[in-house]
Amino acid sequence: MSAIMPNVIAMKGEFLQATWETIYMTLMSAIVSAVLGLLVGVLLVVTQPGGILEDKLTYSVVDKIVNLLRSIPFIILLAVISPLTKFLVGTTVGTTASLVPLIFGIFPFYARQVQNALLDVDHGVIEAAESMGSSPMAIIFRIYLREGLADIIRVSIVTIISLIGLTTMAGAIGSGGLGDVAINIGYARFENDITFMAMIIILVLVFAVQLIGDWIVRRVEHN
Amino acid sequence: MTETTTNAIELKNISVHFNNGDQQIDAVKNVDLTIPRGDIYGIIGYSGAGKSTLVRVINLLQKPTAGTVIVNNQKIQQLKPVELRQARKKVSMIFQHFNLMKSRTVQGNVEYPLLGTKISKAERHAKALKLLKLVGLSEYADTYPGQLSGGQKQRVAIARALASDPEILISDEATSALDPKTTKSILELLKQLNRDLNLTIVLITHEMQVIKSICHNVAVMDAGKIIERGPVAKVFTEPQQKLTNDFVETSTNVKEAIERITSTIKISEFKANQELMYFNFIGNSTKQSVVSELSQKYSVDVNILFANIDQIDGENVGYMIAIITGDLAGFNEAIRQMKNEGVKTRILTDGTLERGDGQ
Repeated sequence: MSAIMPNVIAMKGEFLQATWETIYMTLMSAIVSAVLGLLVGVLLVVTQPGGILEDKLTYSVVDKIVNLLRSIPFIILLAVISPLTKFLVGTTVGTTASLVPLIFGIFPFYARQVQNALLDVDHGVIEAAESMGSSPMAIIFRIYLREGLADIIRVSIVTIISLIGLTTMAGAIGSGGLGDVAINIGYARFENDITFMAMIIILVLVFAVQLIGDWIVRRVEHN
Repeated sequence: MTETTTNAIELKNISVHFNNGDQQIDAVKNVDLTIPRGDIYGIIGYSGAGKSTLVRVINLLQKPTAGTVIVNNQKIQQLKPVELRQARKKVSMIFQHFNLMKSRTVQGNVEYPLLGTKISKAERHAKALKLLKLVGLSEYADTYPGQLSGGQKQRVAIARALASDPEILISDEATSALDPKTTKSILELLKQLNRDLNLTIVLITHEMQVIKSICHNVAVMDAGKIIERGPVAKVFTEPQQKLTNDFVETSTNVKEAIERITSTIKISEFKANQELMYFNFIGNSTKQSVVSELSQKYSVDVNILFANIDQIDGENVGYMIAIITGDLAGFNEAIRQMKNEGVKTRILTDGTLERGDGQ
């Protein structure tokens, strides 16, 4: 082991620390993005033309904001958003500071995914609920979010995996985590085993997310 | 005032327009429709005739462009959203594709309309189980809809529709996705609910067979308008419009029979004393021995090519196509006699069909 990966063995502590940072960044930004993304995704679905709370103005404004945010490349978003980060967190470097661009980078993506997942909920079921006298709130919570749950979990897996990718990019400009280790140590010092090890840990994280996600989907789906 | 209390639904001068770009589509045009309490009222029409749009006006799932909707003596267009939702609970609906929630068990689906009401959890369970028993699916309470057959799904949908103790049930092509045997059992169930719960049923379909088996009254819709309406037996036996006649003849197989007969036998080879005739017997006339009378009393030969007897809203209706051979005097006398007895006749060889000799 020490023969193939000499530098990794020497940096065992840093790897543990970096893995933890990656998990922390992913989890924290995932939680906030989940709330924002679900809100915006539901808002898009209910206000869209033909939706249960149809509102053309709200829909078109929110739709355009989501498109705009999704169009900014993440690496540029990291830089552009730094004044906001400084204002909110007080600094632009470090793990916690990276949460701001991560959230803005991922929640519009998640909102769009949630929207698509909810659009797959059978319109007939929504109509049936309306015919049974359900209120819009009841339809959102008892039909959309429940009937769409399996799909919401599926898109959440995709989103979390994308998010892990984004944390490594944030790492490149100083947020810590496995991306930081891979680029600023492994790549910069030509210590290829370090870069490789960082990749392996990320792959393990991604597989773990996928496996857990698939297991939950199987539990909630009753087709 | 008695009129308002006996009608479950009154639609007055209803129009529904959709705007499709620059085009305006008139889905429903100036329709008046009154449905008495306790009736089973059928609305028949081909797809696109506007029947689904029309029935969705009843619970305001579709807001009419113009007209008044009175349900259970309430002008429901004047209701506030909360009141409208309350009113909707009394007008349940079942659908062609069942529209069950696949994330809930059968029991969960039936309990759905009771969520958020004052009814306790225990009462909710008990009511759902009672309804499942009523539709014959007690043992499926914990199953998910995905594992049920079409007919079973529709039974669950019916149980769910009954959970809010509705006074009106709208059936939107509820049997159109089911096979004939299942259709029959679902219609029997609807008939039973109408009888036992005095449930007013509004049923839309494109199959006259469905109308024939359970409806008391029927309206025929075409291009957004009701073109004919009345008691089913009357509409069936005296269709005034061509479309109605089409529906009737399709459902009785008469249309198919006429097409088959006129394409296989050569009318041009008919002798002058032969006619291809269509007979329609209604009510009591089905019980008489018309055919033997024809041949014995008027010495006319009857060669039956097609015959069918139907039950329409409790009344017998018979159809027969036959080649009649005999002399003109006896033949005319026979037809006159039959007319008096309520048998309707039509000479199929007359006018429209070509023949070689004779007329």
